[in-house]
Amino acid sequence: MLETEELKKVFKGKTAVEGASLYLDKGESVGLLGPNGAGKSTTISMISTLLKPTSGDVRLNGKSIIKNPSEMRRILGVVPQEIALYGELTAYENLKFFGRIYGLSGKALEGAIQRSLELVGLAERQKEIVKTYSGGMKRRINIAAAMMHEPEIIIMDEPTVGIDPQSRSHILEMVRQLNHEKGLTVLYTSHYMEEVERLCDRVYIMDHGKIIASGTKEELKSILSSEETVWIELDRPYPAFFKDLQSFKVIKQAVETEKGIKLILPKGSRILGEVFQASERHQVEIINVNVQKPSLEDVFLHLTGRKLRD
Amino acid sequence: MKSVFLLQWQRFRRAPVMMLSFLIMTIIFVALLAGNNPAERPAILAYADDSLPESEAEDWVASLNKAEEFNFQLMSEKDVREAVAAGDAPLALRLMDGNYRIVLAADDMGRFVLEAFLNRKYREELRFQQVEQQIAGSDIRTEVAGLMEEPPLQVTTTTLEGTEEFQYDNQLQLLFGMTLFFSVYTIMFSLMKIVEEKKYGTWNRLILSPVGKWEIYLGHLAYSFAIGYFQIVTIFILFKYAFHFDVGDRFGAILLIIACYTFAIVALSMLVMGLVSRPQQLQAVVPIIATGMAMIGGAFWPIELVNSNMLLAISKILPITYGLDALKGVAIYDRSWQELSEPISILLLIGVVCMGIGINLMERRTY
Repeated sequence: MLETEELKKVFKGKTAVEGASLYLDKGESVGLLGPNGAGKSTTISMISTLLKPTSGDVRLNGKSIIKNPSEMRRILGVVPQEIALYGELTAYENLKFFGRIYGLSGKALEGAIQRSLELVGLAERQKEIVKTYSGGMKRRINIAAAMMHEPEIIIMDEPTVGIDPQSRSHILEMVRQLNHEKGLTVLYTSHYMEEVERLCDRVYIMDHGKIIASGTKEELKSILSSEETVWIELDRPYPAFFKDLQSFKVIKQAVETEKGIKLILPKGSRILGEVFQASERHQVEIINVNVQKPSLEDVFLHLTGRKLRD
Repeated sequence: MKSVFLLQWQRFRRAPVMMLSFLIMTIIFVALLAGNNPAERPAILAYADDSLPESEAEDWVASLNKAEEFNFQLMSEKDVREAVAAGDAPLALRLMDGNYRIVLAADDMGRFVLEAFLNRKYREELRFQQVEQQIAGSDIRTEVAGLMEEPPLQVTTTTLEGTEEFQYDNQLQLLFGMTLFFSVYTIMFSLMKIVEEKKYGTWNRLILSPVGKWEIYLGHLAYSFAIGYFQIVTIFILFKYAFHFDVGDRFGAILLIIACYTFAIVALSMLVMGLVSRPQQLQAVVPIIATGMAMIGGAFWPIELVNSNMLLAISKILPITYGLDALKGVAIYDRSWQELSEPISILLLIGVVCMGIGINLMERRTY
């Protein structure tokens, strides 16, 4: 349905995206994963026709949309990362305006407003001024505004940034419904691994402007099929202990966080004894040790050498 | 375009305070500074120094008061100096033998107007006195007055610059100057919504809709034009009918000039938005542009009193200069359409150039 070919964007001599090729089949839910500054927003800006690529192409049903973006815009809904609403107006007035600019009027407009409000669960509070809403409610209206013209493809750029867990869960469930029940094609960008794992059939991983891996969740995890993850929970960071662990040849990757250390190493490596010896040398208090199957987060760590939220 | 235009009004209705404050501030400033009695002349305290006998000082004051531009009041030097020192009078006149000085406690823009008037009157009076000394017994003043009433020869001089003798009307200067000055704020702040839309992402929503980009711009520009035009016209109507300011009989011409001026300021605002892309920066830049333009363009004091060639040269590229010139041309000098066509054409030219450059600068980033 939608594909990009070798997309490249250069801003003032700096390459933001290079050689990004991806595709979306009809009714598919695809995740675009990467840390801040990976080039996700630039990529979706080019796909959604907001930004002209320096080179490469975006095709909708085989036709390039670079020179003629109108067909793409007609069937596309975009949920931007920022709250793109008029704060001084009510939710109802915002949706009415966004419906009008898509040519809706009369009963069709009213129907679209109420349908979108029901979808995001804010029909009861439609007459309230948007700037008085909580962060989560604003995010939901942000999604409703993109749904007014019943798009076939929806691009969501980190739609859950900065909101409470309850609103986040509501939004994720809503996206899942749109994809599973209404057959909407979804391109979902996030730096929350668990969201992408929950919502998306396929995943593209971006870093430093390039797509470094792609496939279904299982395919990506199989990259680490011969590895396992050891999570060592600590009471506080111990830099010397971490440095010591990094020197172990068997450890492929080690990442230190506030709560502990994550190690990626070949399956069946008998390393725990050496880890405990090192902890005694450095007088480290280990709270918990957990050997896990690799997650997408671990795949990302393996591919980029850093955590997703770095 | 209609949806975008109506949206701006809807947003204005929800948050009207800032825009209305410019309208109210204009009314307060003009009403306070110009007063609401058109017959009232500014009072100037005067005293004679030792070089001028009391009777001659009285003659000078009577002569100056004949012009009906200021109301000179002769008092003792002590009283006058006390009044100026206490701030009761912003300035005063010291009469000397064949000369004068202006006494100031602080710089006052009224000084330029008073100085221009006194220069003219003293030159005239001293010339009369010289003639009277040379032709004894001749009533030269009556003769000249008669000749001025019925001139033996009429000469009409037309120059390319169309320069007439400078006439000062304090009320109209304040009304036109302050109104055009505050309208710059209204228009620029209203158009700032484009920059805000780009910052908060609603602009991208509009771009992705079937509404054309030119329609989005036109919706915003039409709103800014309408609100700026409405503000200026409302103030002019208010002062013409409620405060009885004499803006002349050609109100249609004034409406046309306001439209051209508003267009030029809307276009200038687009240029500024193209150069300065952040709302916070614009908040700082707009007052600098508005005040600078008003000072150099003659909104605070008549441009005819400015002597600096550099400032006069800068004023030639400012729309406010031509707006004021055209408005005074109608209300004070009763200029013909042919004469008015020059400032009006320049306003339109400034508008077209600024609009073209402004939109181009704003469009550098996107499709």
